[in-house]
Amino acid sequence: MSNSVVSTGPLLDQEFLERLERLTIHWQKSFAGLVGGHNRSRFAGGGQEFLDHRHFHQGDDLRAVNWRAFMRLDKMFLKMFQVEPRVPVRMLLDTSASMASAGDKFTYARRLAASLCYVGLVRLDTIQILPFAARLHEGKTSGGGRHRYRPVAQFLEGLQPEGVTDFLTVVREFLNDFPQRGLVIVLSDFLDDPGCERALQYLADYGNELMLVQLWADEDRTPPWTGEVDFVNAESGEKLRMHVDDEARRKYTEAFDLFAAGIRQVALRNDGKYSGLPTSMPLEDAIFGTMVRTRSIA
Amino acid sequence: MFLLNLSLGQFLAIFGAIGVFAVALYLLDRSRRKQVVATLKFWSEPGRPAPESRRKKIQQPLSLLLQLLGMLLLLLAIAGFTVGGRQNARRDHVLVLDTSAWMGALLPNRPDATLMDLARANALGWLRAVPAEDRVLVLRADGLATPATSWELDRRNITRAILDSKPGSTTLNLSHSLDFARQLQRRSGSFAGEIVYAGPGRISAAEANNMTLPDMPAFRVLTVNDAIENCGLRSVGARRSQTDKGTWDVLVRARNYGRIPHTVQLTLNFGSTPQGSQSIDLPPGQERETTFKVHTIAAGVLETRLYPKDPFGADNYAALELPSMRTLPVVVYSEQPDPIRPVLAADPRIAAEFRPVVQYGLNEGAANAGLIILDRFDPPSVPAGNSLWIDPPAGKSPVPVKERVDHPGDVAWTPDQPLTAGLRARDVQIDSTSVFDPGPNLTRIAEVEKGPVIVASASTDGKSKMVVMGFNPFAGPMRYELATPLLLANLLHWVAPDVFRDVDVTTQSAGSVTMPLTSGKESVQVLTEAGASLPFNIRGRAVEFFTGESSRVRVIAGNSERVYSLTLPEMWDVKWAPPPTARKGIPAFNESVRRSSDLWPFLALLGAALLIGEWLAYGRYSATRLRILKPRLGKAA
Repeated sequence: MSNSVVSTGPLLDQEFLERLERLTIHWQKSFAGLVGGHNRSRFAGGGQEFLDHRHFHQGDDLRAVNWRAFMRLDKMFLKMFQVEPRVPVRMLLDTSASMASAGDKFTYARRLAASLCYVGLVRLDTIQILPFAARLHEGKTSGGGRHRYRPVAQFLEGLQPEGVTDFLTVVREFLNDFPQRGLVIVLSDFLDDPGCERALQYLADYGNELMLVQLWADEDRTPPWTGEVDFVNAESGEKLRMHVDDEARRKYTEAFDLFAAGIRQVALRNDGKYSGLPTSMPLEDAIFGTMVRTRSIA
Repeated sequence: MFLLNLSLGQFLAIFGAIGVFAVALYLLDRSRRKQVVATLKFWSEPGRPAPESRRKKIQQPLSLLLQLLGMLLLLLAIAGFTVGGRQNARRDHVLVLDTSAWMGALLPNRPDATLMDLARANALGWLRAVPAEDRVLVLRADGLATPATSWELDRRNITRAILDSKPGSTTLNLSHSLDFARQLQRRSGSFAGEIVYAGPGRISAAEANNMTLPDMPAFRVLTVNDAIENCGLRSVGARRSQTDKGTWDVLVRARNYGRIPHTVQLTLNFGSTPQGSQSIDLPPGQERETTFKVHTIAAGVLETRLYPKDPFGADNYAALELPSMRTLPVVVYSEQPDPIRPVLAADPRIAAEFRPVVQYGLNEGAANAGLIILDRFDPPSVPAGNSLWIDPPAGKSPVPVKERVDHPGDVAWTPDQPLTAGLRARDVQIDSTSVFDPGPNLTRIAEVEKGPVIVASASTDGKSKMVVMGFNPFAGPMRYELATPLLLANLLHWVAPDVFRDVDVTTQSAGSVTMPLTSGKESVQVLTEAGASLPFNIRGRAVEFFTGESSRVRVIAGNSERVYSLTLPEMWDVKWAPPPTARKGIPAFNESVRRSSDLWPFLALLGAALLIGEWLAYGRYSATRLRILKPRLGKAA
């Protein structure tokens, strides 16, 4: 099932981007051998270690010259350091058909992804965006400063929602492709019919820190319809004919809240973060309100 | 409980149609629809099958009930549903505003205000107390009742009509006005409201004696205090003196309308010349008359004034237009004029000139004569105007003579002829007469056994008339009979009716005028100043007509003419007392407010609230749905 979502303008305006510059993506875990982020590490030592010397060549950085050796030996040697890799931040972005079925969750998710990427770019973090539905799609890596935001935005604007969600398959592929641990941000409605808790738990069990952002449209949580309705699953095309009354709507909402609580419990149980965002909430409130409150960003 | 704007049948028909339409729309709206959703997993509890459809024709009966109830309430509001019986219905009121001549009287304490101003103020006060949804019609009442507005809701138009009302020239005909107001209420189609009379209630004695008020559901009187001392002229009449040639007998009647006796001065002027002045005492409520003699044969305006001036000045002055006295010139050609002389001298309106027969045709003045009498004379030429031939010579007569008869016996006068009015056969004694052989255009006036002895003819245009007598009525025994002057008088009246008509000039008030007739059989003409005919009615031996404004009217009835100078206002005789059941004064404002409590605003609000509530609770765009749509709409905008 494919729904075409056409963006009529830029995902984020300049004013909003400027407000994002004071934020930082937070994670709680310390990953051995990795630097980056803006958390205090429990391990002592600096971020760079001396590796070797080599002869100085024209054009090398004069700041790395071993001046003590020059004064003693009258030769210029250049100090070489081993740069430790930064903590990888990977963002799984749900592009299944259910994201476009109601409330334009897909656009909301893309805007949120663009916001988090910009926050990471400003803090010189490396963020990899990985779209997924039934499988993991080709992603986009961004890093190196705020001036690298534009390619990320173009990548996000070019995404289309389609396909069925299969979290288990996606997580397996992800763990195979990216064995290095890091922060995993999942932007999704988590509406996978077989269930997504087990797949999320795999991610956590492999040492990743989870930041789960659940998106829902208001009609996903509180259906407005009454009477005789023929429901059609946006992803699978499955149909359900039923009579909707107030009691059925109440039970539906209770089931949804129970499902969201399960997602939240998976995140918190693994020292991760959880944010539930309805699409009716302005993106600014979602970032500066809900996500700051859950300490996903600060 | 009842409906103001719709009948019960109309209400049920409209509600039925709306109800059927609403149910049809409802069923259509509640039909099964397809909805794409993100997941189906939450519609069924874990481990239990999904709930089945249980389709019914009416799935949300409360929604349908609320819709129908809301529309019922709105329709009731439109239909004007009211509770409390007819007290709360919209009413049609008639304001009878007195515009009689008396309303022009000045108030004693405020010389710049009149009774009309008081009546206007009362009427406006009452109008402010009338509920805004009631309609009002303003009726101006004097001698006639004239609607000043239609049924009006716009208070500005009603106020303008009240302020534009001015005193007229006639007295109030209250019973007629109230009857007319009641008829208007019956035809209005709405519930009858009040009939309100604003004025002092001064009416004529004739109306007071025969007053019958119509059956009015609600009658209110806005009394105007008119305790004003006033004396005024009732009528001024003038007629030619029967004894003095060139003299008018003038009769002036004045009345005291106040409560204390007054002495007033009456003065007469003809042109600018004073003709007399008299002082008369007028007891309260009484009428007195006095006479004057005015010597003139010329036409002019006779002015009558009453002093001293009082708050109502319209009846202190009357103008009477006197016509000139006309005479008929008669030329007699006779060798023996003496027997004719006394007959013609008996009437001052005849100017007789006697000439010998030899002068016939020599004097040009004879051409202007109203009548030429040819006494046993054969003129060389036939006169052009009116002529009386007395015993013309045989063979020279304008009418062929059949034979000459001595002692013809009884003379029979032809009845129903103007020339034979009052003549009887036994009065006539004739020695000898010519018997004529009349043609077809001659009228027989008198006959003997052998044939006609007096014949008459008139030209086709009526300008020249001719009478031929076969005998001499001024000779023989007939000269002593009454028939001779009667016959000549009839002849003169027939030849010149305008001259011998009795002229009576009267000044009185405008309004309804009644003039007695001599016999009741004469032809009657009622002419205005411009010569146009005025509608009139003959009742018994009197002619009646009406004029609502000051004017001059001529009434010609047979041989008499009366000129009415209707310059005086028509005045009242008695004060009318309202019936004890009549409401009095301006109603209290709270009474109006209480009566005007309608339910339609509350019904409309309740109906709208029910429909909005139903829409929010069950509509496709319920509150939840609106909350969902709001960001989308904002984004689209």
